[in-house]
Amino acid sequence: MKLIGENLNIMSKKYGAALKARDAQPLQELALEQAKAGMDWIDLNIGPAGKTGEELMTWLVPKIEEVVDIPLALDTSNVKAIAAGLKACKKNRPLINSIMVRPERMDALLPLAKEHDAEFVGLLWGPEGMPRDENERGALCAELVYRATDEFGISAERIYIDPIQTPVNVQQIQIMSVLEFMKMFADIAPGCRSTIGLSNVSNGPPDHLRPILNQVMVIILKRHGLYSAIVDCYDTRLHAIARGELPQIEALVHKVEDGEQIDMKALSDEERKYVKTAKVILGQTLYSDSWLEV
Amino acid sequence: MTFQPSKQVYSGKIREVTLGAGSKAVTIGGKTVYSFHSFEGAMPNPPRIAMEVWDKDPSSEWPEAAKAPFSDVLGDPAAWARKCVGEYGAEILVIQTKSADPNGDNRPAGEVADVVKKIVDAVDVPVIVWGVANHDKDVEVMRLVTEKCSGRRIGVSPVEEGDYKQIGAACLGYKQVVFASSPIDVNLAKQLNILLGNLGVSTDDLIIDPTTGGLGYGLEYTHSVMERIEQAALTQEDDKLQQPIIANVANETWKCKEANLSDADAPELGDAAKRAVLMEAITAVDLLVAGADLVVMRHPEAVNLVRSYISKMM
Repeated sequence: MKLIGENLNIMSKKYGAALKARDAQPLQELALEQAKAGMDWIDLNIGPAGKTGEELMTWLVPKIEEVVDIPLALDTSNVKAIAAGLKACKKNRPLINSIMVRPERMDALLPLAKEHDAEFVGLLWGPEGMPRDENERGALCAELVYRATDEFGISAERIYIDPIQTPVNVQQIQIMSVLEFMKMFADIAPGCRSTIGLSNVSNGPPDHLRPILNQVMVIILKRHGLYSAIVDCYDTRLHAIARGELPQIEALVHKVEDGEQIDMKALSDEERKYVKTAKVILGQTLYSDSWLEV
Repeated sequence: MTFQPSKQVYSGKIREVTLGAGSKAVTIGGKTVYSFHSFEGAMPNPPRIAMEVWDKDPSSEWPEAAKAPFSDVLGDPAAWARKCVGEYGAEILVIQTKSADPNGDNRPAGEVADVVKKIVDAVDVPVIVWGVANHDKDVEVMRLVTEKCSGRRIGVSPVEEGDYKQIGAACLGYKQVVFASSPIDVNLAKQLNILLGNLGVSTDDLIIDPTTGGLGYGLEYTHSVMERIEQAALTQEDDKLQQPIIANVANETWKCKEANLSDADAPELGDAAKRAVLMEAITAVDLLVAGADLVVMRHPEAVNLVRSYISKMM
């Protein structure tokens, strides 16, 4: 599975301040760390960035390309900033993150993707907001892929569909809908790839418990064919799982998903945590902040 | 081929919790099936209705329809309590400590507790004391109330994440029953039960208050959350949610706009008294179907409607 490092983000205290101050050093250090962690893209999340977005992206892209040779994901809702970033990327093919399935977003951004032969994340967020189930996800996906490929002649392999990760503590049922969508994905959008904002699964639960939720979620999504994920570049265990280096843990989570009987007493403490976490993500146990203790 | 009705598979049981002491004590919970699904298993205790008494005269806040049945006792909470039990057959009472509200009368905790004690002493049925959902004030009041009512096994509500340590400890100390209250969210309901368990509150002394939305004001959210709690408890063996549930219907129904519009205000909505009574009754029935084991109600006619519904369903 390919990984997109999410940490360069305007919401981060450290990197947000560096972006505002145009202080390249911490941002370049982070880029080097992401390279060391083996990220396949570095996400540049500058937020909506208002009037300064264009200038900020024009400044940021070369600063990052100066220190690493990794493709960049241009993460902003600001169309001008995306256009500026696409122009500024010299080393690798950029990834637009993202294009929603809303007419005004597609009209503005699909031509840019075509013009620069860029890749893009197609976020399944429609005119009425988040899809309610897998069928609405399917309909949005089909609409976006049709417009990109048939209307603009963009090739399917440039498209990364994001079915939207929701937090386990408020919208567990939507996780099941994403998994159902993934079963249909190859038929709905042949040749397209997929990605997801993985860390949102643990948005809300206590900070120190976020990694295990992210790790189990990636195991489940990986089994459903997810091609890539936007992840925390510091969670090395997550990266190892995504690269298939912890097959026993994956097998254990698959057993939970398949409803197999699991002898909890025969497991190590750590294995039990993975089983309990898989159960809350899959809705077999109701989530609570103390899910690992009960 | 003969028709085969689908059958729900159950694997859990709601625990029984007893409120009150002596011959009038009432036990709720105990079911092994969804409410009223007696064709699938056991529902040993019928759902119960608790009638509401305020610790202050509510005349300025209540519509005529609500005041009429209690017009002779609204200024005397103990007499009001006796009337609910003697005349309207209440098996359980809820005392609303409205006078304690820091945004209202802000009566000192000591005085509030004294009035509560008088009401509790005036009746022999179980009593639940309901706070104002202000953590600091509720802690102050409930510390005194739990002590003064020692031996009566009263219920204390709401016990929330922000005050469960203090109020939970007071209930533990004086052997009262905790009503764990969370804001219409099944995950938070579970978490609070876990925290109360860690504090030492026994599952024999724990009832869930998932927070009630009245008809037209979020009833469907409460309904779904109650259903989800019941599903987890009865079909997913969720040990932490196998507790009886209360729905605070009276307060939520009677404060909404449509229950307070007079005939002159809204002739298109029909008879004001009948409308409000039916709103209260339908909210209660809806939540009983969703899984409530105990509903708090105000109007005797609405109480009678719901009582008759329960007896027909059992």
